Amino acid sequence: MSRSSSAVSAAPSGAQRRLGASPAPRRQLRRRKELFWAVVFLAPALVAIGSLRIAPTISAVVSSLYSGFPGGVRPPVFSGFDNYLDLWGNEAFRETVLRTVVFNVIINPLQVAIALLVAVLMTRRIAAPGLWRTLVFIPAVVPIVGSSIVWSIALRPDGPVNAIITALGGRPQPFLTSPDQALASIMLIASWIGIGYWMIFLISGLRAIPSEYYEAAKLDRAGPIRTFFQITIPLLKRPLLFVLVADTVANFVLFVPIQMLTNGGPQNSTTMQMFNAYRTTYTYSSKNLGAAEVVILTIIMLVFVALQFRLLRDDDRAAKGTS
Amino acid sequence: MNRRHVLAAASGIAALALVGACSSGGSGDSGDSGDADWSIPDTDPTATIQVLGHQDADGIQEVIDAFNEDHPTITVEYESVPFDQLNSVLDARIGNQDGNPDVFWADQPRIPALAARGYMTDITDQFAADTGVWDPAPLASGQYDGRMWAVPIANSTQLLYYNVELVEAAGDPLPSAAIEDRMTWEEVTERAANAVEAGATNGLLFGQVNRYYQLQPLPMSLGGSAGGTGDDLLTPDVTSEPWVQAMEWYGELFAEGLSPLGVTPEQSDAEFLTGNTAYMVQGPWLLPKLTDAEFEWGVAPHPYFEGGEVVTPTGSWSLAMSAFSDEREAAAIFMRWMSVEHGGGYAANYASPELPASPEGKEQYFQRDVFDSDAGRLAAEIIDFETSNTAVPRLQTVGFVEFEEIIGRAFSDVANGADPAAALESASSELETAWAQYR
Repeated sequence: MSRSSSAVSAAPSGAQRRLGASPAPRRQLRRRKELFWAVVFLAPALVAIGSLRIAPTISAVVSSLYSGFPGGVRPPVFSGFDNYLDLWGNEAFRETVLRTVVFNVIINPLQVAIALLVAVLMTRRIAAPGLWRTLVFIPAVVPIVGSSIVWSIALRPDGPVNAIITALGGRPQPFLTSPDQALASIMLIASWIGIGYWMIFLISGLRAIPSEYYEAAKLDRAGPIRTFFQITIPLLKRPLLFVLVADTVANFVLFVPIQMLTNGGPQNSTTMQMFNAYRTTYTYSSKNLGAAEVVILTIIMLVFVALQFRLLRDDDRAAKGTS
Repeated sequence: MNRRHVLAAASGIAALALVGACSSGGSGDSGDSGDADWSIPDTDPTATIQVLGHQDADGIQEVIDAFNEDHPTITVEYESVPFDQLNSVLDARIGNQDGNPDVFWADQPRIPALAARGYMTDITDQFAADTGVWDPAPLASGQYDGRMWAVPIANSTQLLYYNVELVEAAGDPLPSAAIEDRMTWEEVTERAANAVEAGATNGLLFGQVNRYYQLQPLPMSLGGSAGGTGDDLLTPDVTSEPWVQAMEWYGELFAEGLSPLGVTPEQSDAEFLTGNTAYMVQGPWLLPKLTDAEFEWGVAPHPYFEGGEVVTPTGSWSLAMSAFSDEREAAAIFMRWMSVEHGGGYAANYASPELPASPEGKEQYFQRDVFDSDAGRLAAEIIDFETSNTAVPRLQTVGFVEFEEIIGRAFSDVANGADPAAALESASSELETAWAQYR
């Protein structure tokens, strides 16, 4: 709200200025030239967004309204919302949706919280900060296929993780082979990769907080916990929410570890919507149904992201108030 | 700032819509079927054909070189894709309808599904004169809906391999290679337990662990069906007593530590070759690799359940022509050369071929070096017998793609300790949903 009012107040003065300098065709020419170059420079990005993002999305929505024989050769026929009704009537699909939502409700706050914790640690005065940061960031640099392979070996029933557990006197765990532990194992792997990556964004956010605030807090004798919650968190809200939104998107479309490690099993315990859509589209070649699954996933994701943007808007108001 | 966030999130969201993007295709004619408006010419055209297969391009090059000696005017461009991706690559390529590939490797049980999808050219008339060349089972595997869609280049069967040292260490007599002395699964289980007790890492290893191809004989030996019933074999039948019983036996192998979890089909040959496995069920393609084995090995016929039927897996690869091939004549000449001429040019020229699909090809095949040893000669006899007497094809249904995937997951769940009856029940309901679209 504050933003729109400031925009309104800015408009008349700008218009006045323009009117005042008006009869200069040269300036108009320059403006036109600027516009031309703006279009030229923006064109590649716009074309890419149009052809790689918007067109496929529209095409997926259209495709989801058709039903056809598996494979891409026989022409599909328009069937309205049949695909959606079929999916909704399918218990396995409903379970997949629920599983995806639960997975995201757990993993996103968890990843962001740990990434924040690590980021705060890394910005403290510690020995060799570059080394530690690199170590935490390395998993994000390793291609996800590579880290999936490494984890598949590490978590094997006779693998090194169980060897460590046994050596410490524990009982070996089934990890990816148990329907009770597979999803948690996937979360562990996704977080191992994600935490270091999101940490980098949060570190830059922490660095941007002016030190005066901390000095003021110190003068007011605020303890470290109070300082964290009343200074760090409010001033970090923007990068924090960006990380939360981007992390949510990444986890909703998480695919590689699932395909490589569990193939959706055991007993469908790691079948999430993205993997399910892939399986429907490519394994079963039911492209129209797969498109419907993608559209449903997109809608659920949009709801999540919209909720998070609401938080972001509040943040805007708060930020305006403080600054 | 705000807008940048929106863009970042929106582009992320839209990224997944790419999965849906490939679904847009859809218009255009479906592949035309079968009027004999073309035939295999007597003189070779000058043409280039594109061939898509799952085998390593280096290995296939020898075969293509041999083809070019016979047919110098036809250029073959071979492209290899991994077995697991062949299906999705075919979907994408043939969906483009641009004549690439002209010829592709077709997994035999998938032929009805691929033909029904309109991916294949009907070759009934063009190959009518050749049908007598192949063994009956591989020939039948290329037929669907009364028409012929693919020519077989290979066949397969399964044998029970054993590690002589480990069997002897367990104090058991060596299994006989004679068909009449075929062991039961009960006996093999007992022997596997003895071997593990005597120190073997694996008692019994399924080379194609959790794959329907290798496990189909288990329920069938107990009197079960191939997994589907009804006119089009589109009614799931995987929860019957024989299926449950077979899966209970299978699950126990893993629960009792006789079979290893986590050895994939790609790793199983190497696992046996390390010398830590007493018994292994695997196809004839293991034979050439065994010449490098540092232990003494032997073969026995594929086991069966006591009191049950003797059933062995069969089937392999065929070549099919894309419905959109723009070089049909050259493509057909290549297919015919690969599967018919010289007992099958593929089997005759590939360094480590699968079992040929024709009697003439098999004759040449058994003359290869691997069959020169005592164990090799016994293996040849078993292979010869099984392919013509006990082989049962996989479920011949348009719904095979879904079936293979869903039942494979159920097998894998059972191996990981799921309750067999519950796993099969859940597979059955998944199949019910997946097959609904074909009925």
